[in-house]
Amino acid sequence: MARYISRRLLLSLVTLWLLATIVFIIANVLPNDVGRTILGPFASQETVDALNARLGTDRPILVRYADSMLSLATLDFGESFITGKPVLPDLLAAAARSAKLAGLALLLTIPVAIIAGLFAARRRDRPSDRAVVLLGVTSSSIPEFVTGTILVVVVGVQFQLLPVLATPPPNADIPTQIRYLLMPATAMAIVYFGYIARMTRAGAIDVLQSDYTRTATMKGLTTSQVMRRHVLRNALIPTVAVIAVQIGYLFGGIIAVEKIFNYNGMGQTMLFAAQRKDIPTLTAGAIIIGIVYMLATLTSDLIIAWMNPRIRLDAGK
Amino acid sequence: MVDSQFDKVRRSTTPLQLDVVEAFARGRLSRREFIQRATILGLSTGAIGAVIAACGGSTASGTAAASKAPGTSAAASAPASAAASVPAVAGGTIRVASQRPVSIDPIAMQDLGGYGITAQCFEFLCTLDTAGSNIAPGLALKWTPNADGTVWTFNLRQGVMWHDGTPFTSADVVATMERLVAAGNAGLKGILGPGGAVATDANTVTFTLLGGNGNFPYLVSVFNAQTLITPKAYVAGTTLDKMPAGTGAWKLVTYNQATGATFARNDAWWGGKTPLDTTEYIFFDATGPMVTAYQGSQVDAIVQFDVLSGKSLLTDAGFNVIATEAALHRQIWMRTDTGQFKDKRVRQALALTFDRPALIQQLFQGKAQLGNDHVIWQGYPYYDSSVPQRAQDIEKAKGLLAAANVSNLTATLHAGQLLEIPDLAVLLKSQAAKAGITLNVAVESLDTFYGAQWCPAKPADPPCSGAAELGIVDYGHRATPDVYLNAALKTKGIWNSSQYSSPDFDAAFKQFQTSVGVDAQKAACTKIETVLNDETPIGLAYFYNYLGGSSKTFSGVYTSALGQMFLSATSKVA
Repeated sequence: MARYISRRLLLSLVTLWLLATIVFIIANVLPNDVGRTILGPFASQETVDALNARLGTDRPILVRYADSMLSLATLDFGESFITGKPVLPDLLAAAARSAKLAGLALLLTIPVAIIAGLFAARRRDRPSDRAVVLLGVTSSSIPEFVTGTILVVVVGVQFQLLPVLATPPPNADIPTQIRYLLMPATAMAIVYFGYIARMTRAGAIDVLQSDYTRTATMKGLTTSQVMRRHVLRNALIPTVAVIAVQIGYLFGGIIAVEKIFNYNGMGQTMLFAAQRKDIPTLTAGAIIIGIVYMLATLTSDLIIAWMNPRIRLDAGK
Repeated sequence: MVDSQFDKVRRSTTPLQLDVVEAFARGRLSRREFIQRATILGLSTGAIGAVIAACGGSTASGTAAASKAPGTSAAASAPASAAASVPAVAGGTIRVASQRPVSIDPIAMQDLGGYGITAQCFEFLCTLDTAGSNIAPGLALKWTPNADGTVWTFNLRQGVMWHDGTPFTSADVVATMERLVAAGNAGLKGILGPGGAVATDANTVTFTLLGGNGNFPYLVSVFNAQTLITPKAYVAGTTLDKMPAGTGAWKLVTYNQATGATFARNDAWWGGKTPLDTTEYIFFDATGPMVTAYQGSQVDAIVQFDVLSGKSLLTDAGFNVIATEAALHRQIWMRTDTGQFKDKRVRQALALTFDRPALIQQLFQGKAQLGNDHVIWQGYPYYDSSVPQRAQDIEKAKGLLAAANVSNLTATLHAGQLLEIPDLAVLLKSQAAKAGITLNVAVESLDTFYGAQWCPAKPADPPCSGAAELGIVDYGHRATPDVYLNAALKTKGIWNSSQYSSPDFDAAFKQFQTSVGVDAQKAACTKIETVLNDETPIGLAYFYNYLGGSSKTFSGVYTSALGQMFLSATSKVA
């Protein structure tokens, strides 16, 4: 298992290097003038040239690439082209905000979706199963920004039950923070409810039809014992994998939701950086999101290995 | 009595001030223009009132007009009591929605978000009057030019303290000006050189300019946003949050670029005790969420919004819209050196298709003023309204096209994806079609538009010679039209996308730059307006208002057209 984890971590480093390279290429390969983008169309060419020289963006691309990779290797993410401040503190603050929002969204959606999926699987083809499937398909086909806008208009503006801005006041306590995050988290949770519930349902139906479940039932175990000891663990394997991917996705920022609720998480921060050609922020942000993806998928692989002995044994080999 | 006061004013004025007084007395300036110009030249409130009264204005109205004007004693002595007529509750906080600042370095900042935050703490020599339209005494109580406008003496307000308790002096002003000159502040470039500002004594600064300039107070005012006065010890490149300071009504308490900023009352402010205890700025990246935040009762004021995103605010009974008339405009450039618009009759024809009132109504719900295909905005004191306003005349447009032997004119109208510009392009297309002109609208990202259509970097000489034949470009508010004239219209100007080159215009612009007296400035502007309207290198259909506002539960909020919201007189309505 230790070997498996070490191999995965090594592979993660390679993936992060590839990710940083891709971001660098995307940010640099298209014809653009960083100085011009930062200073705007009305700045004089001399000022633009001076800024490009100061930022080093007038150097050959390979020199910039080598410099960028060397900095990343030494965990020096550099300074923002826009603010001149180190990019890491601002990005970590944005990451913390994104983590709170994604965490609350997952907290809202995972238990409900798993329970709904298992409930539907046990009542396969009955009206209650159809209802869960329909609800899941419907909720996952409405984009977050539509749900978010409806929530803002109805819950925030019309009834004024919850704040329409997601950013809580400075030093707000946890209940206040949750109150502020509830609407955007709900908008995100509604979409992911569908994915997770349907995945859980499909996994549970497969397991419920398997020989070992039938054997367990025929052995005389109660339904709850069968569900707990045999179905749940195996049925949730694909669900865990889906959740891991969603964690990375949610953390990376649902830009539309962040925009609607004026929440400055990773999505808005990265968009702001991309619009202003702030390459250090963009690269560091992509690396942070990449690390979260890696950790989420690694954790899910470990959980899956723990849940399924066959995977554990394969990993051991 | 009145005449004796008038004579007293005449005797005590400088030649430039006297020139304005005489121009008003002889009916060459309207009362509004007189107040505006007299304020720029540093005439006192009492003097303005005396002149108006002596020249036939009623004392009451004259006083009222003067009290609205910059430089009045009301504005100068007690800004915090400006909203005193509305029943108010002491204390409280106002929550302001503002665009996220890119930088709050008071010298290097270039965005409205930064202007708004820094102006809460730092102040200008000349601030904004409470009517939101002109300059008023700020850290300078009085300013006086010499005979030819080359030397300006500013008398500073006494008893002003920095937030840390040290006294504000002329040394702070001189140090600030040196930093601005070194940084190449756009407004002061070519106007003030190194060593141009000298402290005559602790409360007096003398500016010796590189040439005569009748508008200099504008350039050290709220209308030149980087000229905030910073302490002598301030180091260029320092942001406000790194060195919180200022002489203004508010002290910075917290600042987070990601979320917002909070300010607390400066109890030692020279203007007195502000009605509110604190202010809170919440940062946004778009107008839409600002509007919903107001509707959801999470903000009380919005620094700036546009008509398209904030339409609901214009009809909201609980929202007080502040529509500040400004020189904000769009220029529809037409290449004058080559292509289909080389003949001025073709350019005039296109301009004659503009239905300006309809554009203003459809794009701004009436919150704009008519443009007349020149850049001299109605709010400038030297604007001449006698130049005939161009209106839609389709038959005349067809006649001009026929005279120029042009038929089936087809052109691509390039427009950047910015605010109302794509809609403007579509409306212009439909209006031009009435005269048989086919415009194909190309809406492009701003990067593409600025980089490839408006002023491509290459070929570099002359600047903008790679510009497209026809397009719409945006221009922000300027306190004087020099930038528009110098960069966009002068021969080889750096933003001259129409490649306009006119000896008549260049001569008129030179005359405008070097003139300081009323008659000379106005004569130069008349010439500029006439030449541009006739030669039509650009179409200019409107100057639109800067829109901001606040909930009616607050009074005394006013804004500039540069993102600065003034809250020192703001209070909660009882």
